[in-house]
Amino acid sequence: MAVAFYPGCSHHALAEEYDRSARTICAHLQLELKEVEDWNCCGATAAHSLSPDLSLALNMRNLSQVKKMGLDEVITPCSGCFNRLKVAAHEIEHHPAALQNFAAMAQCELPSQVNVRHLLQFILEQYPSQQIESLVKKPLRGLKLAAYYGCLLTRPAAVVQFDDPEQPVALDGLMRSLGAQTVTWSHKAECCGGGFSASEPGIAGDLGGQILASAKDAGAEAIVAACPLCQMNLDSRQALGCDLPIVYFTQLMGLAFGYGWNEMRFSKLLTSPKPLLSRLGLL
Amino acid sequence: MMLTESPIRRLDAKAPGLAEELKRDLDIDITRCLECGKCSGGCSYAHGFDYTPRKMVQLIKLEERGKLLRMRALWTCLSCQLCLDRCPSSIDMPRILDYLRGKAYAERLNDVHPEIEKFYEIMLSDIRNNGRISETLMMARFNFATRRYFSNADLGMKLFFKGKLKLFGPKTKNLNSLRALFAKLLFRSPAEQEPS
Amino acid sequence: MSEKATALIIGGGIAGMEAALKLGQGGYRAVLAEKDHSLGGTVSKLCSSFPRWEDPQDLLRLKEQQLQSLETISILRDTEITGIEKKKGTFHATWKNSSGEEGALNAQAVIVATGFDLFDASIYGEYGYGIYPGVVNSLEFEQVLKDHTDGKAALPRNIAFFKCVGSRDRSKGHPYCSKICCMYTAKQAGTAKNLSPESKCYVFYMDYRAAGKEYEEFVRSVIEEKQVRYVRGRPSKVVMEKGQLLVRFEDTLIGAPMEVAVDMVVLASAVIPKPATRRLAEMLGLKTDEYGFIEAEYGSAVKAQENIFFAGGCGFAVETIGASAQGAAAAAEVMALFNKGGKP
Repeated sequence: MAVAFYPGCSHHALAEEYDRSARTICAHLQLELKEVEDWNCCGATAAHSLSPDLSLALNMRNLSQVKKMGLDEVITPCSGCFNRLKVAAHEIEHHPAALQNFAAMAQCELPSQVNVRHLLQFILEQYPSQQIESLVKKPLRGLKLAAYYGCLLTRPAAVVQFDDPEQPVALDGLMRSLGAQTVTWSHKAECCGGGFSASEPGIAGDLGGQILASAKDAGAEAIVAACPLCQMNLDSRQALGCDLPIVYFTQLMGLAFGYGWNEMRFSKLLTSPKPLLSRLGLL
Repeated sequence: MMLTESPIRRLDAKAPGLAEELKRDLDIDITRCLECGKCSGGCSYAHGFDYTPRKMVQLIKLEERGKLLRMRALWTCLSCQLCLDRCPSSIDMPRILDYLRGKAYAERLNDVHPEIEKFYEIMLSDIRNNGRISETLMMARFNFATRRYFSNADLGMKLFFKGKLKLFGPKTKNLNSLRALFAKLLFRSPAEQEPS
Repeated sequence: MSEKATALIIGGGIAGMEAALKLGQGGYRAVLAEKDHSLGGTVSKLCSSFPRWEDPQDLLRLKEQQLQSLETISILRDTEITGIEKKKGTFHATWKNSSGEEGALNAQAVIVATGFDLFDASIYGEYGYGIYPGVVNSLEFEQVLKDHTDGKAALPRNIAFFKCVGSRDRSKGHPYCSKICCMYTAKQAGTAKNLSPESKCYVFYMDYRAAGKEYEEFVRSVIEEKQVRYVRGRPSKVVMEKGQLLVRFEDTLIGAPMEVAVDMVVLASAVIPKPATRRLAEMLGLKTDEYGFIEAEYGSAVKAQENIFFAGGCGFAVETIGASAQGAAAAAEVMALFNKGGKP
């Protein structure tokens, strides 16, 4: 199976471990990722904050690049990119006239009917849990995780149409397929404030701190994330005494599938999961 | 007949221009608001706002354009979409805020959170120039522009030792199409806002 | 109409019981079919009543005693109506009871009194119903009150009551006001304070609707005398913090986001039609509204169609006294029909 892949800007440096682990587990699942040719940044919060139209146009261009490759589905591992691409696809469907304008400006065809899915969503919808379970060589027994979804992976529900926006379960289910446990906690879909980690670190620290505290309070020993912005933000907000590793779901899939510490680039995480994983005999 | 103007604010039932504008431009009808406050009780950062989302709706009804375009919350809203998903009437508040922020930006009305606006501009200028962003350069330029030379310095060091700071990354090749979009859709060119 | 004319009453809640009672007292024949063993429906689950703090079980006992003395009324307990059709002015119904027996009966008029259900509050993930222990719906809370009264389990110390859970929410498909929640929530919070005066009770409201005789006075007494704290604002989320429930809301009078720690959250879920009402409406060809509540013909409060009447929660949310009144009105319609032009 082949599918267009939109890595997003953070894949190159800040979230290299996410990118590498995602590509490795996709290969393991015999999924061929075709990087979107000549993609551009989704504009993230900056574009829609200063010009909602620009945000739509930037992502319309990305979707048209997917179409150019003869594909009509794109997946991305970043919740922020996912949300911007998904909103653009939704607008193309519902307000084609406005978007047609942007296509003319960018000198491309208006891309219709491009399906946008987050990598997590794609894996869950494409691979039955039995198949994932059958690939597990090293069950993540004893690992107590807080599955964190953040805000943009499931919201707004009417546009994104993935899982439940308040009590999502997809990532929990996937982690259980790998043999891990997930805790019941109340901050799985709260915003971590990652969009402000550079410009207003106080806000990011406030919101990120609440999430870390809630995960710890619920008895989690690590948080599993599905977005480079969330991961980066949470991992850099660990206040004194808080040392919860924030790992990518793709790293844990790789670990369970039999890949090692180095291959999954666990050492790139700011808070090392080594003591935890060693204690559980998972390394 | 009144001899002096009443000190009491007089209410006019006519739909204010702003409410009509939102209906026309965004297809959002704020008369659907039940005034319940569910948007604001769960808002990620309402505890740091000058106006909660529910109050913003009321400001729209009262045609308080100036307050809306100059409020702090316009810039510290996280666009997390919680208010929209919890609203019993599905009022798309994040979209209203995007719309108002775009106006505040175009009219240069943001004197409450210039650093957030600056960050967005630097990010957009990266996209305009390279098609993609390089977090390292972007942060350096942002810290320089806002004279926060040591802001996030600890974090920067940690990232540096993790090999996560890279100055240059791959760029988008067809920049002409992007620049056309920027020229037509961004109210102010990021170029004119480059750090001096 | 012949003196053997019989009415079939489907549903033995307070509305159906009252209809049977009035028909029986008037000397008319009726069969009352109830799917459960005991009569009383929703009222049988209630711990107290508004606006007079009476025990609803006293009311049910009285009605049941009166019913049992009536010779023309037969009660089929544990019995569901499995089919019904109208041929030449007669309804032919089939039934099945819990021990597997089946049967058929004929009637010349039907009163549908199937009651209502509560909206599934787990649809609001933000309130954590079905996820966090301590988040219950309002009928479950009646049981909590009963358990405390019976000495089975103590009432939690601090309790938050959420109104409009499902009601007045277009995004969840129920834009209507469920009408009874304002009053029963006041009653529940007041009962909790009666049973445990040191407890703290918070009622979250958008507005409170107390349109009924003695209703406003009742709510005011709950606020002023029972010291239940009313907070204006629709709660946004329930979170867990160190084993306690934390309610996040905006105090819409002051305009500030706030939180309060409680041990239990009671959700006043929207009143919705029962699946049984939909099935019956389909079998009988009754007109229902977009939610599935039975619609009345123009000019009558309880007439659905020729020879078919309804009473109680199957038509819309209604409190005990209103359901009784509708049952009596439906019985009056049947008597008028059976007694056309003279005595039965």
